[in-house]
Amino acid sequence: MDEEFVYTLHNVAELGGHDDRAWHIAWNPTKPLLASCSADKSVKLYTYNHDGEGTLKFSLATSIPTGHLKTVRAVAWSPSGCTLATASFDANIGIWEQELDDDGNPGEWECASLLEGHETECKSVAYSSTGTLLASCSRDKTVWVWEVQPDSDFECMGVLMEHTQDVKCVAWHPTEEILASGSYDDTIKLYVDDPQDDWFCCATLTGHESTVWSLAWSPNGKYLASASDDKTIRVWRRIGEYEFKCVLVLKGHERSVYSVSWGVGKSSPNLDTSLGWIASAGGDGFIRVWDISETSSSEANIPSAKLIARLPAAHGVHDINSVVWSPRKGYEDLLATSGDDGMVKVWRIRET
Amino acid sequence: MSGEIFNPNPTVFRSSVKSHPSRHLLAAKKSLWMIEPERSQLDQDVEDLEEEAIDQDEIFGALSFLYWLELSINRWSCIDLIRNIYDPEHPNTLEELHVVSAPQIDIGENRVKVEFTPTIPHCGMSTLIGLSIRVRLIRSLPTRFKLDIVVKPGSHQSELAVNKQLNDKERVAAALENPALVKTVEDCLTGRA
Repeated sequence: MDEEFVYTLHNVAELGGHDDRAWHIAWNPTKPLLASCSADKSVKLYTYNHDGEGTLKFSLATSIPTGHLKTVRAVAWSPSGCTLATASFDANIGIWEQELDDDGNPGEWECASLLEGHETECKSVAYSSTGTLLASCSRDKTVWVWEVQPDSDFECMGVLMEHTQDVKCVAWHPTEEILASGSYDDTIKLYVDDPQDDWFCCATLTGHESTVWSLAWSPNGKYLASASDDKTIRVWRRIGEYEFKCVLVLKGHERSVYSVSWGVGKSSPNLDTSLGWIASAGGDGFIRVWDISETSSSEANIPSAKLIARLPAAHGVHDINSVVWSPRKGYEDLLATSGDDGMVKVWRIRET
Repeated sequence: MSGEIFNPNPTVFRSSVKSHPSRHLLAAKKSLWMIEPERSQLDQDVEDLEEEAIDQDEIFGALSFLYWLELSINRWSCIDLIRNIYDPEHPNTLEELHVVSAPQIDIGENRVKVEFTPTIPHCGMSTLIGLSIRVRLIRSLPTRFKLDIVVKPGSHQSELAVNKQLNDKERVAAALENPALVKTVEDCLTGRA
């Protein structure tokens, strides 16, 4: 029957509110807020805190109607946690900030800027680690890099037309200004800025046999994980400045893998070889968590992967569209997922 | 004006029960959904639609059919759902054109796989036919079923591209937010045009 795993995922919260498929979620990096977006064109913000007995309680804080004309496909927080970006099928990127009321208290979330330029559906949006750059991508096959300027001004620094099909996702390196994108053309592209010139594609990673749906950098920045319609997750090791090599292929999912997230895992002084935990989820409804480590026995810098937790039917019969580790200190054992049932769920991983 | 007809003379395997008005291909955002070939004159005038009166018996029939369906999902109930979808180019159903058939439906515990056979290997309507099949099944089957819609292996020159598009949930979701495309699909589902 079912294998025993070292860790178990426990449900912490089931958050309703969306009237349609919940596509994506994003944890605020500095505040107790979780954002979700949906085909219902709204964004929900959930807050959480410990009640008197030390239980973590989640509740709906606010709903932003957004004004997007179509599905809101993705959300991303700026590193400061003060700004939220939305990517919509209406081809626009929304920038949202909380207004201050007359007493200086935080009030409503308002659209501070609308970034137009993509020709068709936007699929993903991401802030760079310093918050000075924003990347967006679309079915129009392009990736745009925007500079974040004061007063919610954005200047387009580059339009990258490297992919031959829809660009499904963008992800910034955790410390450097390196951008990765995944596409319906089955490839992953990496881009950097040439100080003398424009942004350019510095590497193309091939190996997936179908659409690349999601990308996640390892916390130390030395690896990139990619989730694909080919039902696998690939882990790519950075072996040169702009050189990457596939070192792991994680199998097990029975349908498309729509989302991958790389968390710090369980930090412990004698686990300095740990690279953290990869969580994955998709059309088969499973959440899987893999422990990735560089053990001393591993050959030629190939890390090892061990499936440490697996949860079936996390959203019942429905697809899981997104899985994300909490980045906040003290909450690194929390995972959020969103599904075709319109639900957002929060899970805690604990030793079995 | 009329768009290019991919297959002007399809083989009709069974005469239709009732006659239908001549059908016009509705304008669709081809950039969103049509894979090939490149065409520029797809946008056309939309004929005034004849609103059909809704028959109470039909509603009751549909409800009891759905109830029965929940009890027994098999390839015969699935073929009943899609056999009467109309071809986008012809006044014939997918069954009459042998685009769909019961043996091409495979049912697992929580999965329905439908294979369909385009009438010609370069049929530019294949993605639209597949989308219509998907929409009909999404609306009719219990949500626990995952759908895989594919063209019959070897039956289309862009087989991989068509299959990939038909099974990309994001592209399907975006297509179903496009009013022109949804109307085209509705016309295939109802036989109106």
